[in-house]
Order: sequence, then structure tokens, then C-alpha cells
Amino acid sequence: MLRGFGNFLLKELKELIRDPKILLGMIIVPLIMFPVLGAVMNFSVESAKETAGKTTVLVLNHDKGDNSTQFITYLSHWGLRVFVTNVSTVNDAVKQMATYNASDMIEIPADFSRNVNAGNSTTVEFYSVFSGAGLLEGIGSSIVDSLVGQFNREVAPDMIVPERSTIVKGKIAENVDPRALSNIMISQAIALPITMMILLTYSMQIAATSVAMEKEEKTLETVLTLPMDRFAILMGKLSGSIIVAGVAAVAYMVGFNYYMGSFSGLSTGGASLDLVSLGLVPSLFGYTLLGISLFITLLSALALAVILSAFSEDVRSAQSLVSYIYPFVFIPSFVLMYIDINVLPMWLRIILYAIPFSQPIIASKAVIMGDYLTAGLGIVYVVGFTLAIMYVASRLFATEKILTAKIKLRGLRKRGRTETEAS
Amino acid sequence: MSVAVEAESVVKVFGNIRALDGLSFSIKLGEIFGLIGPNGAGKTTALRIISTLLLPTSGEVKVFGVNVVGGANEVRRIITYLPEEAGAYRNLSGWEYLRFMASFAAKSKDDAKQMVKEAAEICGLGERLKDRAKTYSKGMKRRLLVARALMSRPKLAILDEPTSGLDVLHSYHVRTIIKRCVQEHGVTVLLSSHNMLEVEHLCERVALLNKGRIVAEGKPQELKERFDSPNLEEVFAKVVGFA
Repeated sequence: MLRGFGNFLLKELKELIRDPKILLGMIIVPLIMFPVLGAVMNFSVESAKETAGKTTVLVLNHDKGDNSTQFITYLSHWGLRVFVTNVSTVNDAVKQMATYNASDMIEIPADFSRNVNAGNSTTVEFYSVFSGAGLLEGIGSSIVDSLVGQFNREVAPDMIVPERSTIVKGKIAENVDPRALSNIMISQAIALPITMMILLTYSMQIAATSVAMEKEEKTLETVLTLPMDRFAILMGKLSGSIIVAGVAAVAYMVGFNYYMGSFSGLSTGGASLDLVSLGLVPSLFGYTLLGISLFITLLSALALAVILSAFSEDVRSAQSLVSYIYPFVFIPSFVLMYIDINVLPMWLRIILYAIPFSQPIIASKAVIMGDYLTAGLGIVYVVGFTLAIMYVASRLFATEKILTAKIKLRGLRKRGRTETEAS
Repeated sequence: MSVAVEAESVVKVFGNIRALDGLSFSIKLGEIFGLIGPNGAGKTTALRIISTLLLPTSGEVKVFGVNVVGGANEVRRIITYLPEEAGAYRNLSGWEYLRFMASFAAKSKDDAKQMVKEAAEICGLGERLKDRAKTYSKGMKRRLLVARALMSRPKLAILDEPTSGLDVLHSYHVRTIIKRCVQEHGVTVLLSSHNMLEVEHLCERVALLNKGRIVAEGKPQELKERFDSPNLEEVFAKVVGFA
């Protein structure tokens, strides 16, 4: 039964494991990448806990009775940092929120104590700041909500009837439930990083394969002796990869939007929110910046893939080599999906800003919040990086390196050879 | 100009390997010149340097008076190069491949059409040119590539093992094409081969290459007489001290 299977399997394993590119690309890289991703998730959970523990609420108390004081004390007792403001209007209180670093504000009406004493329901206005932080957005308002629910259960059912509004870019969006808004924005917070991951990895594979295929099929030598500009060969390859990857990205986005749309009714509780009127849809200028950021980043990733594939001899090794870049795509995407970059320690922020593939995701959040400077600086950085990479790629194509370059992993090869000889 | 190619003391070093070690030779206009030698002798490296793919470590090569390093772009306009194991784009048909290649050498659309027409005649693939290259046999693919290399009537065609992997009939066909091209259009041909019998029948002059150096050079008949051998294979064995 299956005569020769054992021998053949042993040969296959030796072939695969002794290939340094496979060893590094498929075994070592995942061994490093997934623990890093795990650390990111752990950090995001810890960050969420910390955010929850530090939830700061500004209270605008129009009521001078004991019940409102009791309510405020109740919130403090359960861990919220509560500051009572002396201003008289909601707009003034909103302006003060930044001073107190408050994520939420509560406006207690003048008749609060009278209604509570009479056993009547009383409407309290709750305001939450929308900051576009990602999946953990709105954690503060959730805590306030649950404490209000708890207060109601302890005092009397439906004593406090919350009216929720959201503060977007310093302006109050009346009756826009921050939880519903967060649920809608979460789909964006997930969609772009995932699209970026797929677009970048897919297009890098295409670019690397296209160069490696020329080598494997022995067409590259012929092409390099044609009377044409070598830079045109490079640009032709990059453009072809961008077009194919772009079509793939559109197909993916259509499918993904349909998928996300199938959940939207559940996640928003049927509420419909006009993101345009809330100013949470990028302006034409914002879209332009985002488009430039995406395009330049894509170009740099493709040029990087072309450089790496120049060091390979066939398609398989080119794809393995390109996989070394994946951690630099996946890790920032996951981090920025969960965490607001501004809450990260400075050293981690610098690393994330330094990875060019972070920039479109950072830009997407920035343009939604109207922070064009961050998006613009990111573009300048990626343009610089791309020019450097394109220069290296064009030099590779202009010289014999495109034919002769090889990755030298002497230690691994030597060990592999010794083992072969020994066996 | 009566000299098509002039190589002077060409050295090429890859790491610790000295692939070419002071190679010097010249090719006359309209001549079929053969570089022959065993595997690893440096034939392909020499052809790659002449076709501007590799840079010489030292020494100088001129093609029709143009230096292959300083005037690489100019050299590429007057040469075509057929690598030993060259392939065609798998998903392009034979016609598409020829049209693609002709577009770089042709000066006008009509010129390109004429080139493709000529290539179709040279390769003799007929209706199969409509099929994708991935469906071609090795022989068909090689004929397509030889046709590509000759269709533009280059001043110099550099052919690395032009009949590599072909059977007797296909090899004969390719050799006939090369000879015809030289006779009809005055193309100069530099080819390499380790099949010395083939070169003997095709080339007007040959250089025997061993370990990156030319060990003998001349007309096949002269070499056979000089070394008192019935064929070039034996000449080579005697020159390198194998026989």
C-alpha cells in the first residue's frame, strides 16, 4: 500500500525545508508576525480597559437639588471621573470638554430633582464626542449608559430617560445616537484596513510574479536587449500590476460592502444616519488626498516587490520573498483598526508613522475628521519613500543586477549542503 | 566598416569565478562567426556582454564601432539577441508575440507588418501562429524565437545555441533560415554552440573557447588541417589536451 510514499515524503520535506526562502517566508515570518499581532490585540484590550477606567464626564447641572447631586456622586462612585462645570449653556460646556479631556457630557435639567421626588420620568441629555478612533470608539459612552441603566434599576424604572446626541468636530449633532454612529463608522474602520491589506498583498504578488515569470520563462533577457528605455519596462510592469490590483480591489470592495450592508440593519437598530450632514464623509479635497495616499503607497509597495523579485530565480521564490513585507502591511492595519494612534506610546507611534503602509489608513481617519495636515504630511513622507524605492528599482533594471542579483543565505545553504552530504 | 564586432581583452568576474579571462576576437561584416566550447566555457557570458546585458569587468567590446557599455542604447538598436533557453510569453499568441516584438524595432506600422509577415515565413508555423505560445512544442517555440531574432534584419544577430533542444529536422530548418538571412540581407551572425559538428557546417570562422579564453581561432577547415583532425570536436579535444 502506497509503496514509496515514505521516501517521497522525506524528499519533499528536505526540498521544502532546505529552501531558505520558504523557511523564512512561511515559517519564521508567521512565527514572528502572529505573536506581534497577539501583542497588538492584548495592547488594544488593555488600552480599552484603561480608556474605560479613565472615562471623564463633564456635567452641566441646571438643577440645584439633592437628587442631581446624588446622581453625580453615584457616577463618581462607580469610577467615572466627573467634573461639574459652572458655565450655563451647552455650547460653552462643549468648548470646555477639551480642557477636562472629557469624552462625554451630561446636561441635567432644572426640574431633575422635582421630577425625581414626584416619581416622574425626567429627560437627561447625554453628549458623546466622536473622535474616529476605530473599533473601540464610544467605549466611554457605553459605560455612562450602563451606569444610568444601573441607577434607574436602583432608584426607579425609567426615572432617567436619556436623550443622546453626538459631538462631531466640536459641533452638536442633535439626536444622533453615538452608539449607532459608532456602529456605522466601525464598518469603515474595518473596511479600509482590510481593503488595504488585500490590495497591497495582491498587487505585490502580481508585480513580483510578473518579474519572476519573465525570469522563469526566460523572456527577461530578450526584453532587456530591446531598443526601449529600461525604466519603461519597470513602469509597464508597475502599471499593469496596479490596474489588475485596482480591478481586484473594486471587486473586493463591492463584495465587502454588500457583506457589511447585510449587517447594517442589525448594528444600527434600524436608525438611519446622514453621514454627509454630520461632516463624517470626506470632502472632495479629502478624497483626493486619500486617493493620492493610496496610489503612492501602492506604487511604493509594488516597487518594493519588484526589487525583491529581482533577487529571485523563479515565481515560487519571488512570492516567498515578497511575504517578508506582509508583516509591515498586516501589523499597522490591525493596530489602526483597533486603536487610536494617538493613545499609543510615542515610540510605537513613530514606528507606525515610519511604516509607509500605515499612511493611507491614518489618512482615511484624518480626512474624515478634517485633519488634512496629517494626511498631507503622510503623503510627503510616502512620496519620499516611493522615490527612493523607485530609484533603487530603476537602478536594478538599468544594470545587470536584474539578471545577476541573488539573495545569499550562506549559513543556511552551507548547513543544507552538509546535511545532504552526510546523508 | 568591415568589422562588425571587436572584443579586446574582455574579463568578467562573478564573485570568485573568472568567467572570461582576457577574451579577444573580431567578427567581419556579413560573417557567421561561432563561439564554441563546453558548458561553462564562457560562451553565454561573452554573448551577454556583447548584447549589453552584462558589463565587462575590464576590457572593451565594440559593435559596429559603438562601445557596448557607453553606447548600450545605440547597440540595442542594431542587434537582436536570442538567449539559449528563451521563452515566449505563454498567454500571447504567436502573432501577438511577433507584433509585440516588431513594435520595438519597426519605424512605422507598415514596417512592423512587413517584419511580422517575414517572421511568419521564416518560422513556418502557419495557422498555429493564432494559438497561444503555451500550446507550442519546444521546436515550434524555438522557430518562433529565431524568426523574431531575424525578422527585423538586424546588423548583428547574436544567437546563443540557436538549435538547442531541437530534433534533426528542426535544427536543419533553423540553420537554413540563418544562412538564408545572411545571404539575402547581409546580417552578421554571432552564435554559440557546444555542438561542434553543427558549427562546422554553419560558420565561416570559429573560436574555440575554454575556461574563458580563446584557445584556437580560424576557419573550420583550417583548424582541422592545423590540428590534423577529422572534425572540430577532435580539434577541441587536442587543443585542451584531452586527446
